[in-house]
Amino acid sequence: MNSTLTGPVATYLAQVRAELSDLPAGELDDVLDDVSGHLTEVAAEFEDEPTAASLQERLGTPRQYADELRTAAGYPPRKVTGTEKTGAEAALRWGIVASIVGPFFVVIGLANGTEETLFFGVIGLIALFGAAYLGVRALRGNNPEAVLATRRGKQAAESISSTIDQIPPNVQHELVTIGQPVWWVARGIVGGGAIFAVSGAAAVTVVGALAGAVVSVWIGRKTQQDRRWLWYVVPLNVIAAIIVPIWLAFSFVGGTSSRVFGDDYTPSSGYNQSGLWLDGNGIENIYPFDERGQQVKVRLYDQSGNPINLQEQNCRLDSADYSDTLSNTFPHRRITEGSYGSSVDEGCKDSEKAPFVPPPAPATTPATTSVTPSPTPGASLTPGKTPTPAPPAASKPGVTLTMTPAR
Amino acid sequence: MDPSQLLKGVLDLAVLAVLRDADGYGYDVLRRLRAAGLEDVADASVYGTLRRLFAAGALTSYVQPSEEGPHRKYYGLNKTGLELLAQSTKTWNHFADTMSVLLLEEAA
Repeated sequence: MNSTLTGPVATYLAQVRAELSDLPAGELDDVLDDVSGHLTEVAAEFEDEPTAASLQERLGTPRQYADELRTAAGYPPRKVTGTEKTGAEAALRWGIVASIVGPFFVVIGLANGTEETLFFGVIGLIALFGAAYLGVRALRGNNPEAVLATRRGKQAAESISSTIDQIPPNVQHELVTIGQPVWWVARGIVGGGAIFAVSGAAAVTVVGALAGAVVSVWIGRKTQQDRRWLWYVVPLNVIAAIIVPIWLAFSFVGGTSSRVFGDDYTPSSGYNQSGLWLDGNGIENIYPFDERGQQVKVRLYDQSGNPINLQEQNCRLDSADYSDTLSNTFPHRRITEGSYGSSVDEGCKDSEKAPFVPPPAPATTPATTSVTPSPTPGASLTPGKTPTPAPPAASKPGVTLTMTPAR
Repeated sequence: MDPSQLLKGVLDLAVLAVLRDADGYGYDVLRRLRAAGLEDVADASVYGTLRRLFAAGALTSYVQPSEEGPHRKYYGLNKTGLELLAQSTKTWNHFADTMSVLLLEEAA
């Protein structure tokens, strides 16, 4: 195709192309080569660049032109009711799915920002891009305006244009010329920033936001040239339209926007999971051993003297009674046979014996020998009396609680 | 009577006739048809006719660079095209004669 065509001539060519879009691809390219050569010659008939109106006066409407060409060349008549119409309807349907279902899940995913809900964000993005892809495919080479020819599309277009008509023309103009670039940059910053904010680092987020702005402006310009990009851009805009105000609101309220985008994992926030955690795994019971490898019974407190409690789960408790089932005396009894909530009579058995082979006695590890104050084998710990060194498990990296026998 | 309707039936013949004297590209063929007096010929239908005659094997085609713009696709008659022209000319003459006689009888 001739790329030197510009302005109304190029538009005319594109419209003829759309009218002939049912032809096989190779034939279509060949024909359009001819048409483009013809239009170049016709354009040369005019002193200045021809307008759309003068072209139509000279050649007829693009549809008339295409129909004359079609008849003379002996191509089969155009299938108006066939592929294009159903294609446009399918495209409209997928466009709606992409604009509603995709953003819905993405916003759920981003709003909570925990690893569990980010899963919804991924689902949303898959739904968004999947539906958008199907929409573009259903549309084939047609201009997206084809969807306006469908019944639902017509209704939507009328309601939208009547709303737009209520805006004064000069405001409309300013909204487009000024508002559009601002919007492109804003959605890019938020989009790029949000993706990289998940990683948590502020510097990465800033770089991501800047990159997002650049990409967003590029997409904006691309969409102006090929309107089929709308299928991807409109749903993404819906997401951005929801997130930009939230982001701005949080920025004004006090910079806590990070929580919205899920990079807030500091354990000090009340936002943390309840219970006792080690490297992300929940701790259900603690089995203390003395230095000789004998299992002992201890009471645990944190650095502030708060008892380190865990929920008990033994045969004496039933599932309905949660009061007084917390205890900081370890080990707890754990059910080994029968089910939680069933009584001893029903065959429930529990035990405080460790369900694993006890670790080797630390006496064999030379590093601790100098500080070990020879404990009595099997003796229970007396709080405040023995400066017990940290148990072997506590020296592992990632332990989130310091256990000190207090008082 | 609309001349453009009449043209549709004889456009093939007109295009073949124009190419008998010299090869030509689409816009050139169009110009020659107009110069010959067929002013109502539709641009697009000439391009379409050239494509169909070429697909039917009546025309040869080659591309030549042009000074002013994009390359031009030239068409010329081959043996099949010449035969088609001769046969179509015969058909047309017969038809035209018949019509003339008919119209003369009507007028008389």
